[in-house]
Parts: sequence; C-alpha cells; structure tokens
Amino acid sequence: MNQNQQVNEGSRGRQDDDAALSEFLASLMDYTPTIPDELVEHYIAKSGFQCPDVRLIRLVAVATQKFISEVASDALQHCKARQSAVIKDKRDKQQKDKRLVLTMEDLSKALHEKFHSPAMIGAQSPHAMVDFGENDAIGDRNERLDVKGW
Amino acid sequence: MSNGGGESGEKECEQSTKGRFGSGEEFGRAIAKIAVAQICEGAGFQSFQSSALETLADITIRYIRNLGQNANSYANLAGRAESNVVDVFQGLEDLGMTQGFIGLSDVNRCPIGSGLVREISQYVSLEEEVLFPFNVPRFPVVKERKAGPSFLQVGESSPEDHVPDWLPKFPDHLLYVSSPVWNPRPLDVPVDKTDLTKEQKKVERPLMNLQHQFTCNGSAPPVFADPGDAATTKGAGQGNPFLSAPLWFGEKEVTPLVYPAKLESHPQNHVLEERVAPVIDKVKSSLDSEDSRNKIILNSRPSVQFKLGTSKKLLTSAMGLSPQRKTIEKTACCFESDDEKDEKKRGKERIVKGPMDKTQELDHL
Repeated sequence: MNQNQQVNEGSRGRQDDDAALSEFLASLMDYTPTIPDELVEHYIAKSGFQCPDVRLIRLVAVATQKFISEVASDALQHCKARQSAVIKDKRDKQQKDKRLVLTMEDLSKALHEKFHSPAMIGAQSPHAMVDFGENDAIGDRNERLDVKGW
Repeated sequence: MSNGGGESGEKECEQSTKGRFGSGEEFGRAIAKIAVAQICEGAGFQSFQSSALETLADITIRYIRNLGQNANSYANLAGRAESNVVDVFQGLEDLGMTQGFIGLSDVNRCPIGSGLVREISQYVSLEEEVLFPFNVPRFPVVKERKAGPSFLQVGESSPEDHVPDWLPKFPDHLLYVSSPVWNPRPLDVPVDKTDLTKEQKKVERPLMNLQHQFTCNGSAPPVFADPGDAATTKGAGQGNPFLSAPLWFGEKEVTPLVYPAKLESHPQNHVLEERVAPVIDKVKSSLDSEDSRNKIILNSRPSVQFKLGTSKKLLTSAMGLSPQRKTIEKTACCFESDDEKDEKKRGKERIVKGPMDKTQELDHL
C-alpha cells in the first residue's frame, strides 16, 4: 500500500513536472536569447552534442546568458564598491569615476566568487575548466585573473 | 595594473593562438564578444577593458562547450546518441554545483523538477530581451572542393582500361617523362668554352621550356647533384631568385678567373707530370664547375679565388708521392695564399668541399 501511494505521488509529481517543463519550453521559444543560436550550435556541436531540436539550443543559450549576466552583475557590484571607496578619499575625482568600466580586476573577483567554494576547490575553477586541446592559451589567460594588478 | 601591459599580453596570446585556430574560430570568438558585450551592457556597464571582454567571451564559449559535453555524456550514459532536455538539465546541474540551487539537497529529485528550472524560467520572465544586432550565418562554411576535369569532360578516353572515364584527367605526359640529359661539357681549358656557347643554347632552350612547364605544374625541380650537369639544372618559381633559371655563359659579364700563377707555370718533374697532371686537370675541372655553380648561386661577382685551404690535406693525400712532396707542398701553399685572401668568403667553403670530396677519390689514381 505504501509503495503504491509513493508511486502514485511520484507519478503525479512527474506529471506536474512535465507540465511545468512544457510550459517552460513554450515560454522559452518566445524569448530570443542574446547569444545567437548559430554560435551556440557551433560550439555544442564541437563537443558532440547532437540534437535537432531548436528548443534545446535555446535552453543552452539562455542558461549561458543567465550565467554571464550573473557574473557581470557581480563585477558591477565590485566596480561600484570600489568607486564608492575612491569617492570617500577624493571628492575631486567624483566626476571622472562615474563611468562604469568592466575591468579585469572586477571580473576576476566575480569569477572567483562564482567558482571558488570550499567543497569544490580546483574542480570548477576557471583554471580547471574542461581542457580543450586547442584552448590551452586561454587557460594561460585565465590564470592571469588571479594576478593582482591586471 | 597598467592597461597597456594587459593589452600587450593579450596581443601576444592572440598571436600565438591565431596560428592554431582556423578562421571559423576567430569568427565565433568575435560573435561571442559582441554577445557578451551586449549582456554586460544590459547589466549596467558602460564600457569594457578589451582584455576583460575577451576573457569573458572565452569563458562563455567554454561554458557552452562544457554544457554540451556534460549533456552529451549523460545521454551516452543512458545509451542514447542524441541528447534531450533531461540531459541538458543534468549538465546544467553539474555546472551549477558550486553555486547551488533550491532542491539540490534532495537526493530523489528529478532534474526537471529542481530549482534550476525555476531559476531559469524566472530569468526568462524577468529579463528584458536584448536582441543580437547582426544576422549570423551558419558557420563554419564548408567549401566544396572543385575536382579537376574528368576524361569525359575533356573529351578524351582514359589510356588505361582499369581507369574509368569519369575520373579526373591525368596530367600531361611530358611532365613526368624523363628527357635525355644533355651531354656534359668537355673537360678542356676554359678558353674552349666560348665556342660551345651557341650550340649549348640551341639544345638547352627547349629543355628549359619543358622544365619550366614541368615546374609550373607543381612538380619539384630536379636536384642539382652533378657538377657536370650544372648548365642543365633549372629552377622555376617566380619571384624566388634562388630558383630562377641560371645565366648562360657569356650572358652576364663575369670577372675573369684568376688562377694561382704557380699552378700553370710551375715547373713539374717529368714523373710528377704523369701522375699529377691528370690530378691537376681534374681539380681544375672541378674548380671550373664549382665556379659555374658559383655563377648560379651568387648574384654578385667578386674576383673568383679558389679556396682550397681545407684541401691541403686532401691534395697531399691525393698526390701521395713522397719524393715529390716538396713540390706538391709548394703548390698547396700557393693555393693557401689565395685562401688567406678569401677568408671572408666562407660561404664558398661548403661548395668547395663538394668537389673537394671528389679529390679524395683521386687517391685511387
């Protein structure tokens, strides 16, 4: 009896999930992600991802866009924090620093927060992201994120 | 923290990667940069450091590829070649592990019902749509290879039975048939050469045309091995002075050959004459050929000095006549005096060693 109840609950849960999923996928088709579909298709094809469904490509694009916007907003917070600190010191330069610039310093801090966690040290850091054969040079570039002063 | 330092470092990196990436990669990277810039602009940034932008574009590309790989591996794990929604969500979960989302702690969860979906759907509903400004074509574009004309297209029939007519045509037979080598120059005193120039030209021109055609069609020029064949060696290739056709004897004004005085007028013993004369003749001929080689290889013409410094041992060993050693050494010395003048022209040493190796064969005389 218990098992039956559990199975019923599970199936109901799955139905709900399916409904939510189809709803979500429908809403996904309305939204055009900033990252173009062709770009996403090219790069996921490189890693062996095969799917004729456009919705999945859109899903990947949206997920990536969400990730990047999170990183960007974190970097923006760092930038603003630094500006407010500067303004405290020198009121003369207030007008100069109104311009918000994405710098390597802010970006490296934001990425470090994103990937660095006690549980996953070394696993998901930018340095340890999947090593593509031809992207070794990018690894060098990313290593510089940690260097203060860039 | 100089921006310039960062920029130059990035440029170096780019140059090193440019060689490795094909053009498709550069295009993709540029598109990614634009997309990322638009996303950051939406987040609130007004301008970017180019190094930071490039790094973020790299990370975007890596994220996309990572996600694709994860989804693909989950699909393969389930025994499928094509990925589906669940695989993508599982891949997303892997990438989002460090951040975490609501419901991650639930062991029995379905990836679809997880907080991840909710987060993404929230993002979709809240976020403003920022369209990519350009129309991106499908890339990389696969160029169709154009095959050469087939036998049928040209109207010929294939010469061989086993080669069908619809295959591309064979290249012209003149290109691979070996032509007879022009007989080598007689080993006379250089004065005689001038008489043969015109006859040489008659024979050489058609051969030269053929070989020019030969090399123009992409085959390798014949290797310059035998000094006797110096006049027949041709090089084609437009623009490369080292591969251009050699000058004919008499075409360009050449400084006269300066023999060491003692070599010609040196009184030779009767016995020495018998044994050394042929040797000296051969040395002369090899030196002449070396000289002609110099004509081909060197553009400028300083006065020709025969460099035989290293050959002292060779000559003496070649001569190998103990009673006549004094006279021989004297000739060797007069060769050497030329050497000292010639010390600056080291380039000829290598050339000289070629024919000089042949004097070693004279040991067997």
